[in-house]
Amino acid sequence: MASIYVRSVAGLLAAGALLMGAAGASAAERVKIEWWYAISGKLGETVQQLISDFNKSQDKYEVVGTFKGNYEETMAAMVAAYRVNQQPAILQSAERGFMTMLKSGAIIPADELMAKQGYKIDWSDFVKPVAGFYIVNGKPAALPFNSSTPILWYNADALKAAGFGAPADTWQGLEKQLYALKEKKVTDCPMALPGDFQWSLIENYSAINDQPFGTKANGYGGLDTEFVYNKTSVVGQVARLKKWIDDGVLKIAGQGVAPISLYTSGTCASIINSTASHSAVEADAKFKWSAAVMPHEEGVQPKNSTIGGAALWAIKGKPEEVQAGVAAFFNYVAQPTVQEWWSKATGYVPVTNAAYAKMKQDGYFKNHPTREIAIEQLSRGEPTDNSRGFRFGNHNQATAILLEEMQAVWTGKKAPQEALDSSVKRGNEILRQYEKLHAGK
Amino acid sequence: MPASDAMRLNVGAAARPRFPLRLKLGSLVSSSETGLKSSHFRRPWLAAGLLAPQLLILLFFFFIPTWKALSLAFVQVDPFGATMIFVGLDNFTTLFSSPEYRDSAVLTLWFTTVQCFVTLFVAGLFAFATDQVMRGRAIYKGVILLPYAIAPAISGVLWAFLFNPTVGPLAQMLHELGYAWDPNRRPSDALLLVSVAAIWKHVCYDYIFLVAAFLAVPASVIEAGAIDGAGPVRRFLTITLPMAAPTIFFLIVMNFVYGLFETFGIIDVITHGGPAGSTNTLVYKVYQDGFRQLDLGSSAAQSVVLMAIAVLFTVLQFRAVERKVNYQV
Amino acid sequence: MVERHIWLSLFCHVVLLIGAAVVCLPLYFAFVAGSLTVSEVQQVPFPLVPGDHFVENTVSAWKEGDFGRLYLNSIIVTVGIVVGKLAASVIAGFAVTYFRFPFRMTAFWLIFISLMLPVEVRIIPTYEAVADAGGPLRSFFAAIGLTGFLASTTGYQLDAALQWNMINSYGGLILPLIASASATFLFRQFFLTVPDELCEAAKLDGAGPLKFFRDVLLPLSSSNIAALSIILFLYGWNQYLWPLLFTTEKEMYTAMIGLKDLIPVADAQPAWHLAMAASFFVMAPPALVILLMQRWFTRGLVDSSK
Repeated sequence: MASIYVRSVAGLLAAGALLMGAAGASAAERVKIEWWYAISGKLGETVQQLISDFNKSQDKYEVVGTFKGNYEETMAAMVAAYRVNQQPAILQSAERGFMTMLKSGAIIPADELMAKQGYKIDWSDFVKPVAGFYIVNGKPAALPFNSSTPILWYNADALKAAGFGAPADTWQGLEKQLYALKEKKVTDCPMALPGDFQWSLIENYSAINDQPFGTKANGYGGLDTEFVYNKTSVVGQVARLKKWIDDGVLKIAGQGVAPISLYTSGTCASIINSTASHSAVEADAKFKWSAAVMPHEEGVQPKNSTIGGAALWAIKGKPEEVQAGVAAFFNYVAQPTVQEWWSKATGYVPVTNAAYAKMKQDGYFKNHPTREIAIEQLSRGEPTDNSRGFRFGNHNQATAILLEEMQAVWTGKKAPQEALDSSVKRGNEILRQYEKLHAGK
Repeated sequence: MPASDAMRLNVGAAARPRFPLRLKLGSLVSSSETGLKSSHFRRPWLAAGLLAPQLLILLFFFFIPTWKALSLAFVQVDPFGATMIFVGLDNFTTLFSSPEYRDSAVLTLWFTTVQCFVTLFVAGLFAFATDQVMRGRAIYKGVILLPYAIAPAISGVLWAFLFNPTVGPLAQMLHELGYAWDPNRRPSDALLLVSVAAIWKHVCYDYIFLVAAFLAVPASVIEAGAIDGAGPVRRFLTITLPMAAPTIFFLIVMNFVYGLFETFGIIDVITHGGPAGSTNTLVYKVYQDGFRQLDLGSSAAQSVVLMAIAVLFTVLQFRAVERKVNYQV
Repeated sequence: MVERHIWLSLFCHVVLLIGAAVVCLPLYFAFVAGSLTVSEVQQVPFPLVPGDHFVENTVSAWKEGDFGRLYLNSIIVTVGIVVGKLAASVIAGFAVTYFRFPFRMTAFWLIFISLMLPVEVRIIPTYEAVADAGGPLRSFFAAIGLTGFLASTTGYQLDAALQWNMINSYGGLILPLIASASATFLFRQFFLTVPDELCEAAKLDGAGPLKFFRDVLLPLSSSNIAALSIILFLYGWNQYLWPLLFTTEKEMYTAMIGLKDLIPVADAQPAWHLAMAASFFVMAPPALVILLMQRWFTRGLVDSSK
């Protein structure tokens, strides 16, 4: 505190002059590893716990975790800092920024780093859709950290009151149930629309029903990929959602409330939301809550869903001893025991089979059956070109456009086909722009 | 203040005409056009010294960064700076050929204009009332300003929450009144909500400067008006308002700048520019594309367009409105 | 004295009461949310009356965020912004209204145009500018050949002397936020209304411009300075994006970042009660400034003309 005080006074006197950030001399023997992360609230506390556990586990490195705002703010901070050589050693970046990070020229691929520092990580042990997402040309580019997938949360009491034991497997069956909930006046809100519905109800919908989202294996086959979701059963899906919204079966949560709160408060009887909602649901839902795998179309053999969340990237331009520390930290995070602890504390999916096996062996899923749904859904069937994941350049831009066009459907401004056509057209322009910029690489 | 100056000020105030508005047009001094006092100093080097701190700060922390930002308008660039392609005017032609962008421009002008005048009117009403009441003036002032101390991140979330059609208490009230309030599906409701929140956020700004301006009207002038038989409302309209005109002009310009440039934060929390782009103003788009999506080229082109619009409007305001502002009432 | 009007007075009280109620709405609901437990805060319908956990939430939010240090940073940065901007603006406003010199209007417009692009939408280049403030000077001196000249004649390394990195410094947090014209514009507007006789009188007394500025203009501006101080304090205190992006060390974080850190993200439990409770102690300093300053600015001209 005293040193801070001195610095503050110095800062005041300097007012406008320079003050280099010379940190206190304490812990100077340890190599500092800067990590910028993007999750706050309870999850932020868990991250800090993870860091302090790592720091206690050894005496060579000290990871310093800094909250840098949400994913977008963290990314912008990274970009700005990198340009003037102030970047951190580790960055947490969302799955939507994967291509941006991959092609940034600012990263060290995770496997290269680990191999160089003499760590052996069994990459084949990662759960398939997780590995499939982060592995490029057989080599993982980043370390999967917080991974989630959407599942169907439901209020068992409400379903029972309407005469159902469990939610239907198919969208068609689910539709009947949701309408029954409304007609029997069990609830005024059978289902809530999540804020990131393009991820769960369109992208994951495409994967599970084995529908192509884009050409070239959803972008895995090259930068000359094009969106095609305006020609698949997504059109029917959007029309169905629109009908549900019009009939008051599906409620848009909108801003100002976390959609999951509509479920945990009992207002809405179901929601398709991230498996990471477990901590919120377990703490707050005062009814008999449960979850199931996401529904699929009638007559379709369902495939795996895809992941969301974020990964840890090792950033270039740091001294050798810092890189060694990054590798040590990655190695620590990938350990089954740490994975298990992280998964239990947060509701994120354990990303390695070893961690999953360990949790299963300990009987964790007997007491927490819904915790297993995500991993079952992720490992359902052999991933196809349509279900492996999505690898589109500037995917967050195309996502914003898709959301905007979907809202045009909800407001009645556009018909589903019209909106999807427009979304694909605008999205393809972004893909072409990206291709042009990165063609040489 | 030294006593002699105060004395002079009193003399000056009392000697002024009782109804300045009537005399205003005739006595319009040239200084309002050039912004130079008719009684002034001629010490160019001293003036340069006085301007230097501000200009230097602006040079390093506004002009150079802005120049760097805007120069990206003619390229497409990877956010990390690894690749850059010169594209000429492509970023601009893409913008102008996009119907979404044109909608956004129209929306922005509407939103900014409405916000500008409603804010001024509401703040003016509050400031007038504050000026009139004898009892509790300080309390009112404190209570009206206090809510603005709360963090925008919190107040923004609360606005969105209060009017959330599913859970918001105020939305519930609207529903009970028979109004099918739903900013998620009705663009007009979303626009209304964003406007109200933006106005709410800026009322304190106008209020505080108007209170100061109204208070600055010398009591002697007001009393002279009262002796002439003018009621309080008439005195306000014919004495106080004209004397506050320079502040009002300042506020019109500042409200305009606020509406054009500073409202992206509130839009981001309350509607994310939706539904279907119905609250996606130009600056929110710049912020989205430049900061969120890191599409620096397009965002730079948009900034150029936005700045051009702003400069155009400001020049117009100076030409059209400032002529009518009488600085020497 | 001016006569009283009962109806007008009543009308004014009603307007102010309604106005106060409306502007305070978010504040009230923040208080309600801050006084609930984590599960109560998610109830539908939302409770309209406060619960009794406010103190408890405040204490745990304070502990969680380590706000002591954040406060100090916030206060230093905010005071720096208020004082720096006021000082730079008031003299610049004085210069453009009270002096005749070449390019006067150019100077005014140069200042004015800085209103036209907020820091947040040009944040990445601004970051670069502040991380390497000497960069433009280095390029300039290199271009005019001074760097090479000095190096060859005196051996002085100009480039090395011009490495100014303001990352993690209070200067870097303050200066970019001062770079805007609003206050200069306000002072210009105000100075134009100051009666010309005052300046004439000062000249007759043989007072120079600086004496006139100090003894006449500054005292006259007190209510505007007070109003501006409030606005600038709110502006500085509530800055989030710039301090967040710009500091890489936790010791430089501000209270607003600490508050944001408490706001739950999509995947976490929506524990809004803590963030809402925290928002009250975070808003205490600006609230105090409002209460203190507004007393000051009610005086000003009124007293002197009574």
